Amino acid sequence: MTLTASSSATSEATSKAAEKTQALLADLWRRNRPVIEDRLAILDCAAASNPMPEELRAAALDVAHKLSGSLGMFGFDQGTVIARELEQLLCAPLPDTSRIAELTGHLRKMLLPSS
Amino acid sequence: MLGLVRSVLIIDDEDDIREVASLSLEAIAGWTVHAASSGTEGIAAALKVQPDAILMDVMMPGMDGPTTFKLMQQTKGIEHIPVILLTAKVQGIDQRRFAELGVAAVLFKPFDPLLLSEQIAKALGWKE
Repeated sequence: MTLTASSSATSEATSKAAEKTQALLADLWRRNRPVIEDRLAILDCAAASNPMPEELRAAALDVAHKLSGSLGMFGFDQGTVIARELEQLLCAPLPDTSRIAELTGHLRKMLLPSS
Repeated sequence: MLGLVRSVLIIDDEDDIREVASLSLEAIAGWTVHAASSGTEGIAAALKVQPDAILMDVMMPGMDGPTTFKLMQQTKGIEHIPVILLTAKVQGIDQRRFAELGVAAVLFKPFDPLLLSEQIAKALGWKE
């Protein structure tokens, strides 16, 4: 095999591996939907509470942290940006619940468009 | 696909992170992946499978990543295995704190599944 042919074969194999990974990621995202719904529900609860109980604030902060660390893997880069803002809001002594509700709404539209 | 078949242990309490990292390293790089969902489980797995590297989350319930790393350093048989911490924390102070622990590298979440194996290989100086 010539160097060019070898390089071409490697490139094709890499491309196929990337396609396979993308397909597996899409499948994983579909299977992951209930987890996303649960996480958004916790953020909804936090946004609806005033004052926010400490236990709920901690749970919502954990959810926001998990979303910020995972959404970008599935191609939702803007979702990661929103989740990071939620993390910051939930770290405040008196979290801005109206902004949390607004951002959670954005996330729901982005992540669960048919709901 | 990269050249050598490597073995990597992923330690993360989040199912989706473990699954994405596993399929990424297996499908893209052709590496062998082992997974554990806690620091305690991770130490046991490392002793058993002797991976070439460990990719570990920072924030885990129970024993967190930095604490697990320190324990690994004191555990005969796995103290030599390079550890890469995986974190969603973006603040510089956190990055410096993790680097000062003596880990091989710190990678950030969310990672790109198509590039994760390259990032690991580069961080560890693996010439594939």
